[in-house]
Amino acid sequence: MSTFQTHDARILEVKELTSREKLFTLRFVDPEINRNFKYKPGQFVIVDIRGFGEFPISLCSTPTREGYFQLCIRRVGRMTKYVHELKEGDIVGIRGPYGNGFPMETMEGSNLVLVAGGLGMAPLRSVLWYALDSGKYQHIYLFYGTKSYEDILFRDEITHLLKHGEAMNCTVKLAYEVESPSCIYLEKGFAPKVCKGVVTDLFRGEEFDVTNTYALICGPPVMYKFVIRELLDRKLSPGRIYMTLERRMRCGVGKCGHCIVGTSTSIKYVCKDGPVFTYWDALSTRGLI
Amino acid sequence: MRYVKLPEENFEEFFNSLKKWGNVYAPTKQGNIYSFKKVEELSEVSLDYNRTMLPPKKFFVRPKDEMLKLKGKKWEECNGVEKIVLFGIHSCDIHGLQILDKVYLEEPADPYYKKRRENSIIIGISCMPDEYCFCKSLGTDFAMSGFDLFLHELPDGYLVRVGSVKGHEIAWENENLFEDVSEEDLKNFRAFEEERAKAFKKALNKEGLADMLDLAFNSPVWKKYEKICLGCGSCNMVCPTCRCYEVCDLWTNAYESVRIRRYDSCFMESHGLVAGGHNFRPTRLDRFRHRYYCKSYFDPSAGFNCVGCGRCDEFCPAKIEHVKVLDEVREALE
Repeated sequence: MSTFQTHDARILEVKELTSREKLFTLRFVDPEINRNFKYKPGQFVIVDIRGFGEFPISLCSTPTREGYFQLCIRRVGRMTKYVHELKEGDIVGIRGPYGNGFPMETMEGSNLVLVAGGLGMAPLRSVLWYALDSGKYQHIYLFYGTKSYEDILFRDEITHLLKHGEAMNCTVKLAYEVESPSCIYLEKGFAPKVCKGVVTDLFRGEEFDVTNTYALICGPPVMYKFVIRELLDRKLSPGRIYMTLERRMRCGVGKCGHCIVGTSTSIKYVCKDGPVFTYWDALSTRGLI
Repeated sequence: MRYVKLPEENFEEFFNSLKKWGNVYAPTKQGNIYSFKKVEELSEVSLDYNRTMLPPKKFFVRPKDEMLKLKGKKWEECNGVEKIVLFGIHSCDIHGLQILDKVYLEEPADPYYKKRRENSIIIGISCMPDEYCFCKSLGTDFAMSGFDLFLHELPDGYLVRVGSVKGHEIAWENENLFEDVSEEDLKNFRAFEEERAKAFKKALNKEGLADMLDLAFNSPVWKKYEKICLGCGSCNMVCPTCRCYEVCDLWTNAYESVRIRRYDSCFMESHGLVAGGHNFRPTRLDRFRHRYYCKSYFDPSAGFNCVGCGRCDEFCPAKIEHVKVLDEVREALE
């Protein structure tokens, strides 16, 4: 079977997360393919809408929960608009998983600081669940910056962790930009974990042992600079800061050239050398962030 | 390497014998432009050519290529691989194909490219550089591998280097057409190569090129060329190592669709665009600079991504010269 052939996957459930994002739970039609589908947090798949085209999307479920996988898809263009019209039982094509993923094993026994901005919550949710399920990490911090209450992805899970996170060694903090009655309610209930501001405001008051901490970042391009500065100020090594990046990926396997970044001294394909890079990679490869 | 001689009088017979190995494609003259076309007779072939407009990559990474056909909700492979003999390829283009091999054959290999490569025979031919060539500076003026047969011009025929088992089979099947190589032939071969080495008019200073360019990220030279460059992407199309492609689905009728890929160019604004409208290379400056970085990247196992064929210079409507740009960047830095 060709590298570019996709496998049928059935939509088991469609859940509306916000007015723009939907969560699709899928399973491969062929049970054998389903059994062999192994992935790591941070990897992505290519979704094939036959007759419309393909697009890459990160996996937002965790491999610790088997038998299905989930994709959080924002409606931004022609293809995602079509996907948003799909219903339970419909079939899409999937190929992958692609990319390197987060080095979950290397990070075992350490603190994880997950910093998510907007849709960046999707790939980090995979890490979050993986870390919670495996119980192999010391303390997990999730700093999540969102536009407004309505834009919070996985709101029920976030609220659950705001309430009960500490018992699972997990601190969840939320920053929102646009005020609304719901936010104020949240803020009242969970102060100081919920506040008005940007994601870097959430670092305030949190101390972590930098020799035993990894930071994992995903968010809009503008966010990286500020978050990284915050982490570097705390003397976190550039090799302990992981970021997952977005590019126009067409093939997913390092052929089509759209995701090439870097200069003459270091050229990288985001699809196969990434999408997870360290901050050191960004220092040595121009144009990464 | 095995060396044999093909005397001039046997050349046509040898050429005709190639048809049994596949359809023969060779450089032909179309107006003022040379182009690889399917040929039947030796008389159609222009072996004394400088460069074709599209490099031989067009046979392996097609300008427009059907990948999958949608039939009854299932993708089917677009089958059928033509057996081809590429006759009369220059050394730089052989190097170009090897750079493409590095990308397209690396696991997971591109199935279409791989099948086409396996079904092709590459026969190289020696050439004389013109004012655009700078392959000598990049070490791509002589092919050590990547061909089945390589013909070097002699006053009375060709010195043939046999580069593969398939090449050996071709030579073996036509045993009566070949002769042993004499001392005289070797002398002539050396003389041709020496004359050729002297004929280069252009040279690229590749000393520390990669680091030099990296340091020159904010060079004013990029800003100067941003205004000259038309952003047409013609250099990408004619480059033997540019291989970016875009994928899309097209409906052929109400029930059938086909997934095609076609050449894309890093000079197009859409190249770095992602969902939601963010562009990672929003300005022409970003895109112009990106191409030079991509071409000057040095891979320890494959060399530079540029083979010095001179196509981008010859076919640039704004007359931008690759070597001149790099020289200017270097000058501005020093």
